[in-house]
Amino acid sequence: MPELSVSGGRLELLAEVEAFLYKEAQLLDAREFDAWLTLFAEDGVYWVPSGSDDSDPQREVSVAYDSLSRLRERVWRLQSGVAHAQEPPSRTARILSNVTVEPDGDRLLVGSVFVLHEFRRGRLHIHAGRYRHELRRTGDALAIAMKKVELVNNDGYLGNLSIVL
Amino acid sequence: MSITTGNALITEDWRIAGRVYRDPQVFEAEMRTIFARCWIFVAHESEIADGGDYKVGLIGRQPVIVSRNADDGAIHVLFNRCRHRGSAVCQREYGNANHFRCAYHGWTYGSDGRLIGVPFPDAYGDGFDKSSMGLAHVPRVESYRGFIFACLDPDAVPLEDYLGNATRFLDFIADLPGGIELSAHASKLEYQANWKLQLENTIDCYHFSFTHKSWLDILNQRGTSSPATWRENVAQNETWRTIDFGGGHSAHEYGSLESHKGKTVTNFSSGELLPFNFVVFPTLGFVGAQLRVVMPLSATRTRVLLYPMMPKGYDAAQRAEVLRNHEAFYGPSGAGSTDDIEVGFDRVAQGLAADAVPEDWILMSRGVEREVVDAATGVRYGRSADELPQRAFYRRWLELVEEGLDA
Repeated sequence: MPELSVSGGRLELLAEVEAFLYKEAQLLDAREFDAWLTLFAEDGVYWVPSGSDDSDPQREVSVAYDSLSRLRERVWRLQSGVAHAQEPPSRTARILSNVTVEPDGDRLLVGSVFVLHEFRRGRLHIHAGRYRHELRRTGDALAIAMKKVELVNNDGYLGNLSIVL
Repeated sequence: MSITTGNALITEDWRIAGRVYRDPQVFEAEMRTIFARCWIFVAHESEIADGGDYKVGLIGRQPVIVSRNADDGAIHVLFNRCRHRGSAVCQREYGNANHFRCAYHGWTYGSDGRLIGVPFPDAYGDGFDKSSMGLAHVPRVESYRGFIFACLDPDAVPLEDYLGNATRFLDFIADLPGGIELSAHASKLEYQANWKLQLENTIDCYHFSFTHKSWLDILNQRGTSSPATWRENVAQNETWRTIDFGGGHSAHEYGSLESHKGKTVTNFSSGELLPFNFVVFPTLGFVGAQLRVVMPLSATRTRVLLYPMMPKGYDAAQRAEVLRNHEAFYGPSGAGSTDDIEVGFDRVAQGLAADAVPEDWILMSRGVEREVVDAATGVRYGRSADELPQRAFYRRWLELVEEGLDA
């Protein structure tokens, strides 16, 4: 862990986290899902709340709440050729910004804002919201313990949202 | 149902006209007949368990508030429309309140709809009768075992008569451990195609191994089912039956209700509570562990609420299993709902735009020759992948809509 009381260390940490987030975004836009999965810790979770940003996933329904094994199934399906909702596949481009990093013990709590453009079946869809990554350092690398996606419209009616956000 | 002219909506040999899914005039007729005369599910009692609890909903296009009065616990279904200048008085989807105050001029109504406050009322003169100016009530509200229905027709038959032979399937749901609650809220879907496609799809086992092949492959990887097992059951398992209860209500059962009594694993896993898919005409459905409500917005725009049902007797781990099962298949990011939207709704809308075909019909005749009618009850039975449940829906649909088109 860099020395956080030194401003240079904090910038270094921010740069490291941003590079990690950009890499993740690039892998998803490139549909390199197997490489994306390697960013997750074994107990990692991909969570898209429904209804509100702070709904309780153990009591209330989510858009997605995937353990790594469920995430592997999701990714397998997207590449299976028989996931009709992604035939033809969406093309996506996402921008993320406003990155904040808050160290918390052995975790990094990372916030960012994203805008994701999705094009499919002749229509352009815009998704936006906040990513909240909980990152853990394992050896030299960062790993995702939790990726929470707070869609601005998570209390609205959604269509075919079969892409990974 | 003897119309075989070019203008027929449904023919005797069970072809359905493309315009049934496209035509705004058919949609208007549906609003005038089906949604003005049928009992429409508006809430489960668990959603408004305490005095002052409310939720909003739709009866056809009518925005309503389903409210439990704080004083006496009575349930009211109120039009969400201020008597003064028409503004909707309730903006939240659900909550708890002892009054609804219109934000436009401050008219205030009790949770029973009674008008309790008008700012500067003297301008209306002495003849103004507050007691007659409450929020308008939907004329009929009845509950069957916790399922609350409302009806715009004051002369409608009682709810239990309307449900008819379908009540024993609602009983099976109400009798799940501790009873069920809709405390997990709903996945919310919207698609750009006709509302009836979602109902047809809810009770259709024919599509499963094709539309949802990727899901069956995943179950195969988990070792819990396989495409071959599914196809074998659909083709050969005589305990997998389709049922037409009459009145538009229908089901597909995976073995009889009696054979499932007391079991916790009824279908694929313990996250699936129901050994059947079930539709209460016109817009209420049940699948797996889910209650679904279909809301038509226009001939080509539909919203759907998918509620995971929670047995009150379930512990935290069992509840989480219901949720995780639900999300994997249903909802805007689930494997099943997204493939249904794509193949069963969006591509159907795309295909049915071809109205210059020589015969603008779709086929709903599968298994029509092998329907078996129980003489005692009038209930019809068919094989698993027969389109008997869809015909059950459209038999009632046609009776009602033809009257609306004649009007």
